[in-house]
Amino acid sequence: MTLEINSLTKIFGTAKALDAVTFSVPTGSLVGVIGRSGAGKSTLLRAINRLSDATSGQILFNGADVSAYKAADLLRWRARAAMVFQQFNLAGRLDVMTNVLLGRLSHVSTLRAALNLYSETDRAIATAALDLVDMADYAAQRAESLSGGQQQRVAIARALAQEPELILADEPVASLDPRNTRIVMDTLQRLNREFGITILVNLHSIDLARHYCDRLIGLQGGRMFFDGTAAQLTDGVVRDLYGMESGEAGVENNPLSAVQPVANMEMTK
Amino acid sequence: MAGIRTVLLDRARGLPPEHQALIHPGWRRHLVPFGVVFALVALFVFALDRFGFTFARIFGGIEQLGWIIYFMVPPNAEGQFLFFARALGETVAIALLGTLIGAILAFPLSLLAARNVMTNRIVQFMSRRTFDAVRGIDTLIWALIYVNVVGLGPFAGVLAIASSDMAGFAKIFSEAMEATEGKASEGVRSTGGRRSAEIAFGLLPQVMPVLISQVLYFFESNTRSATIIGIVGAGGIGLYLSDTIRTGEWQQVSMLILMILVVVSVIDVISTRLRFAIIGKRG
Repeated sequence: MTLEINSLTKIFGTAKALDAVTFSVPTGSLVGVIGRSGAGKSTLLRAINRLSDATSGQILFNGADVSAYKAADLLRWRARAAMVFQQFNLAGRLDVMTNVLLGRLSHVSTLRAALNLYSETDRAIATAALDLVDMADYAAQRAESLSGGQQQRVAIARALAQEPELILADEPVASLDPRNTRIVMDTLQRLNREFGITILVNLHSIDLARHYCDRLIGLQGGRMFFDGTAAQLTDGVVRDLYGMESGEAGVENNPLSAVQPVANMEMTK
Repeated sequence: MAGIRTVLLDRARGLPPEHQALIHPGWRRHLVPFGVVFALVALFVFALDRFGFTFARIFGGIEQLGWIIYFMVPPNAEGQFLFFARALGETVAIALLGTLIGAILAFPLSLLAARNVMTNRIVQFMSRRTFDAVRGIDTLIWALIYVNVVGLGPFAGVLAIASSDMAGFAKIFSEAMEATEGKASEGVRSTGGRRSAEIAFGLLPQVMPVLISQVLYFFESNTRSATIIGIVGAGGIGLYLSDTIRTGEWQQVSMLILMILVVVSVIDVISTRLRFAIIGKRG
């Protein structure tokens, strides 16, 4: 019962965004994906969801070849591998409840969805998902009227309404303040623990990755650079992963780095 | 571990009444959308009935149309090709001059109508309303007026297109300016730049691609309008078109239509290339 990534490669023009990335994740893990901007973190998650396909390589989920799915199977897979985005990707002009109900689209015909004729089960699931992220009071509000942290919680509710087996969170907290960062990360952790959903989360912050994730995968220039536990991720590895000069190694002890070490690194350059 | 569905459905049963209402929204919410759709369908049917819309007339018309198309083949200028070509050139010239004059006049005016440029609300509001009024008069009506003012010929056509486009451009330009983000302007202001510098360096670079692509689009669509205004005597190929249709010289009509189609598609291709060249691929 695993997600297996086999030699996944993605080529944009002449650049290799992913270069023979290979790893496997047992069901129920919470895996952090770290690396510099442009290391291929987003490309990896988007390739797993099949939002944009890899050039070559294979994605297996519980033994089934996800990378070969077409048509209805592909749509169904996307519902099973829910995405959470940095910019939330909600339909801003639609209300919160409708946004979460979009998570039920794979169970409903587009016509029924457009006419707002969701079944009571669908509505119950969406409402409970909203309640779980503590956003049910906002159900009738337009999504774009909410703060960033609230929008991200709605996006997580939408993902949960998909009844996902996998959640792919692409920099889910990069646009959020420290408090909302905690709320969102705690929520993801809770979904992982309570429902056993496998989660892959891209993070800028090494501290967050260390604190929340069972396992960390480091990408550098599209290649696997590190795969191990938080304890195995030493300062030396971090320095190499982010390509820092040795003089910048004190980053992790700097209180400013607690939230955004990458931004801090750029400040010291 | 219990499935997501089971846990969520259990949780849903325990929700407080105000959240339960989300699950059972009731049929009343469909009343308004249903009413609107019903009213639109009723209006549609009523209008068709009032205009004497019957299937008999459509099928009768189709037969007539078939005959006209039959007479049109093959297209033939019947010795008039050079006259047609010259008139078509005039039409393109009318469209080009009219569009350019309209755009040039519209640019300063649009500054008056953009809320984030013109801080005087009264001036801003009045200029916006003036554009609306001028725009409300169609190019064809302007052409009819100018034919009486400056006489028959292409000059009236140029003025007609320039007049209606000036107002249209001014409105589109000012709206594009209002849709810009204030960040770049704020950056210029923070350096001690004058207000004129804010507009020139903060605002205009953002809107230029929109303005240019709008001008090119208008040129395309004006080439089509310019064929029409020829019919009322404002120069160009329209006169030949209306004359040959009136006298039933269908082969010449089809030749004229073919020539217009070719020129319009050539302009379409050229302006698309130009647009990409000026504003980059992802405009």
